[in-house]
Amino acid sequence: MLIGISLVSFFIMHLAPGDVTSSEASFNPKASEESRQKLRELYNLDKPVIIQYGLWVKRIAQLDFGNSFASHQKPVLWERTDKSGNVTKGLIQESLPITLMINLLGICIIFSISIFLGTLSAVRQNTWVDRSITLFVFIGFAIPGFWLALLLMYWTGVSNQWLPISGLHSLGYQNLSGFGQFIDLLKHLVLPVSISSLSGLAGISLYVRNGMLDILHQDFITTARSKGLKESKVVFIHALKNAILPLITIIGLSIPGLIGGSVIAESIFAIPGMGKLFYDSVLMRDFPVIMGILTIGSFLTLIGNLLADVGYAWADPRVRKGLVK
Amino acid sequence: MKKNCLFSNFIAIFIPLIFIISCSKDTSEVIDYNGKFKNISGGNLINAMAGEPSNLIAMIAGDSASSAIAGNIFNSLLKYDENLNYAPDLAESWQISNDQKTISFKLKKGLQWADGKPLTSADVLFTWKLITNPNTRTPYASDYQLVKKASTPDSLTFKVTYESSYAPALDTWTSLHILPKHILKDEDINNTFFSRKPTGSSFYKLDEWISGQQVTLKANDKSVLGVPLINKLISRIIPDTSSQFLELTADNIDVMNINPIQYQRVFPARKDLRQKIALYKELGNGYTYLGFNLKKTPFNDIRVRQALNYAIDKDEVIKGVLLGLGEPISSPYKPGTRWNNPNLSPYPYKPSKALVLLQEAGFKKNDAGILMKNGKPLKFEIITNQNKQREMTAVVIQKRLQEIGVEVSIRVIEWASFVNRFIKTGDFDVVVLGWSLSLDPDQYNIWHSSQQGPGQFNFLGYSNKNVDKLLELGRKELNVSKREKIYHEFSKYLLEDSPIIYLYAGYALSAVHKRVKGVKNPAPPAGIYHNNYDWFVPKPLRRSEISAR
Repeated sequence: MLIGISLVSFFIMHLAPGDVTSSEASFNPKASEESRQKLRELYNLDKPVIIQYGLWVKRIAQLDFGNSFASHQKPVLWERTDKSGNVTKGLIQESLPITLMINLLGICIIFSISIFLGTLSAVRQNTWVDRSITLFVFIGFAIPGFWLALLLMYWTGVSNQWLPISGLHSLGYQNLSGFGQFIDLLKHLVLPVSISSLSGLAGISLYVRNGMLDILHQDFITTARSKGLKESKVVFIHALKNAILPLITIIGLSIPGLIGGSVIAESIFAIPGMGKLFYDSVLMRDFPVIMGILTIGSFLTLIGNLLADVGYAWADPRVRKGLVK
Repeated sequence: MKKNCLFSNFIAIFIPLIFIISCSKDTSEVIDYNGKFKNISGGNLINAMAGEPSNLIAMIAGDSASSAIAGNIFNSLLKYDENLNYAPDLAESWQISNDQKTISFKLKKGLQWADGKPLTSADVLFTWKLITNPNTRTPYASDYQLVKKASTPDSLTFKVTYESSYAPALDTWTSLHILPKHILKDEDINNTFFSRKPTGSSFYKLDEWISGQQVTLKANDKSVLGVPLINKLISRIIPDTSSQFLELTADNIDVMNINPIQYQRVFPARKDLRQKIALYKELGNGYTYLGFNLKKTPFNDIRVRQALNYAIDKDEVIKGVLLGLGEPISSPYKPGTRWNNPNLSPYPYKPSKALVLLQEAGFKKNDAGILMKNGKPLKFEIITNQNKQREMTAVVIQKRLQEIGVEVSIRVIEWASFVNRFIKTGDFDVVVLGWSLSLDPDQYNIWHSSQQGPGQFNFLGYSNKNVDKLLELGRKELNVSKREKIYHEFSKYLLEDSPIIYLYAGYALSAVHKRVKGVKNPAPPAGIYHNNYDWFVPKPLRRSEISAR
């Protein structure tokens, strides 16, 4: 499966015209064509694609993701120490934690708010509460993120100076205490995380709402109510548990999404994450980096699918029993 | 890709809007930035750049972010002074032999690297060997490969001998950063820690580099050229220019490059910004042109090219695209420098003359008002890369040409595809692109008829025997006034033949916070940054480090 994915992505990538020697900066009369041809040879770009793929597979088999072309030999995946002890960090190693942190925070926020909103609108189905929640999540879904981001940056950063505008750390970051650094980081994350969460609310909260509605009309809920249970217990314990089962699948499927950042948000907020890394690599035709990200992404997708299935079986006895039979 | 384009469109419209809507900020404290201040050293300067440097060894990097940072860390043998004349950098003096083939550089005494080791001619020789080594992954080797012999008669002298006299030689020694032999002699230059942890000799040295976020330089106290007044240069990496601008207005950065809309629309409308931020404009380093594929009909006909040149209103392009912040040019050199021929002027906007020329070339208007020849309309496609200004330029031109009956379509293409699919193969009609206004007048690679191979830079296919001869002469002539004559004549041929239509040379616009003093205004020909080691931030105006975001 992984070989198939990598083969397809490798060939598609090489179908795009150009390579790392044809960047805009190298369109410079001082850089001669001979030198660029020499560069191509040094990077093996003059060889047929199938041989380049062979070389790549050979390296990947030893878990060596290679070095980036464009950033001049920074390792793609993990840090490397040279003989005199200087450490060069890997590109993915640097970007991934940042993106993971933002996306994990985002997912936690999306799920907790969505479950709350979804339940509320299911319980209050077809009232003004339900309608205004739906309206709100759809506005959040439809509003262009970068536009809202700029407005909020102006409002909270320039005219009021409550929050930092962009970046991840303040300038005097090193001089702060551990707790101060944590608060500083949180402050920088407020805008990017809330903007990225806003667009995710609509999907999940509607899932929860519809799941809830299905469950609330089933017989065992009627039973629970007729037992004389409090309504809150009926909704939050009996119904909700069942309604959020499908979310396990969604969480599993969103694992690969965890490592993919958003180019636009990362550019606006000046966050060096995976989205920007991937986008820049594509523009620079930085093949080792593109392949590294794609390989890890597809690997995580497979893992995510597996985890979703296993998680579902763990949470739902009906699925588990079906498996045993 | 398309999405991104749309997105910058939106930003261009919305940013000014935001400011117009929300200008209700009360200025609680008014600081007077205009007083007289002493130039005490200390403080820091924060600027913003869109991309992260890839590698601080300039001969390998090649991107502008890298050379901007590396330029503060390394020295070359020579540099350009504020009036763009050669000036000593590491070399104290230089001498050209009578046969014009040998140059010997005398280094300044007592030079040292930031780690305290002496900097000698051995380092210079080492650097030359490095860049000409076939295993070094540099695209810039060709100029230095012309050196037949390089030697170091003593520790302060570096001598190069060329095969035949090479006029751009001095220019090439202004851009080669001298690297330390004692650190790099056992390193693989293509793959070394040094590219991210360099040791240089210039005013600043690397303090800290947080990947993707910021690069901090601090004053190099071992610099024999003097210690700069500003203690730390912090370059924040902010890819989006609107975010950069917000940071500037919130006092979080001191220096950024701005665009014509910000210069002409936002600042005039915002008194609070004008109070704390000073604007500078200087002629930029490049020009934009419309180039014809000379191997294709009808562009192989000089009358057609001249006609189209008359039919395009350059002033209108400058007004529409740059909001007036540019100059028309008539040679590929900076107006005001010695290489620019002052007797030339751009083709005026004369659509009637254009029509006469096109009629001479055999085109006649049909009933629909479209120019036809042999039953075929005069019709072509302008291609350009994804560059807002170039796209807008193409649109203005499209409209003007439509008026005289020429059908023009526009195609915008991502850079790598643009070069490989269209430029290298010669599969295009007309391009809108830019070249730099180089400081050395040599344009051999762009205009000599021998430079038309795939991947070479005369991709328009220009060939003129007289121009070839002049370019060859100009490369060999080291006498400045003789050289000046050669390139004045070259520019004349080029303008007459009109293989390209010069559209404009835009201004480089910078916004600098008024707490930064010592910036020369008006900007000298070399630009405001050329003396950035003389800039200072007076003590009362410094931002406290903690509060700065």
